[in-house]
Amino acid sequence: MNPLIFLGIPIGLAFGFALQRGRFCMNSAFRDIIVLKEYNLLKAVGLAILIQMVAFAALAMAGVITISPNTFFWGANILGGFVFGIGMVVAGGCASGITYRFGEGMVGAMSAVLGLIFVGLMSTMGVFHPFIAWLRGATTVTLADGANLTLANVFGIPHYMLAFGIAGVALIVWAILSKKGEESPKKEEESVSLGTKIFKRGWGWKATAIVIAVIGILAFISSTAAGRSYGLAICGGYWSTAKSLLLGQNFIGWLSVMLMSTILGAFIAAKIAGEAKLRAPAPKVLIQTFLGGCLMGFGAAVGGGCNITHILTGVPQLALSSILNGTFIVFGCWTLAYFWFIRPMKNL
Amino acid sequence: MAEEIKANETLDVRGEICPNPDVKTMVKLKKMEKGQILEVLVDYPLSVERIPGNAEKNGHKVLKVERVDGPDHKIYIEAKGG
Repeated sequence: MNPLIFLGIPIGLAFGFALQRGRFCMNSAFRDIIVLKEYNLLKAVGLAILIQMVAFAALAMAGVITISPNTFFWGANILGGFVFGIGMVVAGGCASGITYRFGEGMVGAMSAVLGLIFVGLMSTMGVFHPFIAWLRGATTVTLADGANLTLANVFGIPHYMLAFGIAGVALIVWAILSKKGEESPKKEEESVSLGTKIFKRGWGWKATAIVIAVIGILAFISSTAAGRSYGLAICGGYWSTAKSLLLGQNFIGWLSVMLMSTILGAFIAAKIAGEAKLRAPAPKVLIQTFLGGCLMGFGAAVGGGCNITHILTGVPQLALSSILNGTFIVFGCWTLAYFWFIRPMKNL
Repeated sequence: MAEEIKANETLDVRGEICPNPDVKTMVKLKKMEKGQILEVLVDYPLSVERIPGNAEKNGHKVLKVERVDGPDHKIYIEAKGG
């Protein structure tokens, strides 16, 4: 075993801590734009992507990391993303959401994780595997030299130029728009100590985005050192841990170590804030979250990753697979959120 | 200070998954008459943070957010009515 996989421990602890404090869940982020007209988590996701986009490009230029886009298999990316997006609404959380809530003691999230592992393994090595292998094979597109597609290499633009360009333009447009729609002056914030802000209160979206992005950047470096050229991800960590336990062979790598530490980090954050408590919804809801987890497991296995792999880590690398997959995660999320939450609320 | 708020109705969404605490609270408030007070029992941190803001945005009046124990909170909201 490569001892460098244990570099995943500090990353995971920090990631879990930040997820719990920042309530970083993309299901809430995407769903609540349309359900509750709530934009804070979406802003956190957007800013974390842009910061990483610049950092990954700079680190790749410096030779510290290698931009490693996932394979573009459009059929599998579309199907996987859409099913994953539906699944996270059913489960009540995305991959990072159910992971930090697992650490908080929410039993509904734990049953979602079980579903994600169960169908994930059925898909990566079991009964669904032949179909997935076929779909991927039939829809894979690469460059002539076999390289995986990114927005940069498809258009023949140097990666750093495009990454800096997109991030720069996006940040400027964002700054202008947010100036225009200047929020009404906030109520006077009561003065609280920095310690209380960090450990006891939920974080604001900017702090969450910056911390998650920094962890994502360090994760890429740490994981590369351990021989895995990618940044933060989640599902693969659950699957290789479960596979090791089920088969009695060692599949534990950087990602598994990081993920187990993430759950622990979220627990520690919740414990300090007084938010850790074992709590369960009605049995019917537990079955629902399990089924949601099952859909997420299938979706992630088909599309080659969850929302963290694709949206948080893949999009900043300008990976075409991740842009497509991420878009369909959002579509899947919105489709079910419309039928489950918006239509019933309208009919009141 | 320690004045008890008398709620007309109580909504217990403890243990519920995201975003049910938020959605159920808003739906319940919509159905209540003006001036009636809803007590929400909630233990999901994101909802504890967001319900007050959303209720205010929809014209209801948040009277009090009270931490009971650990993640358990009670939120008192006065409905704006139809």
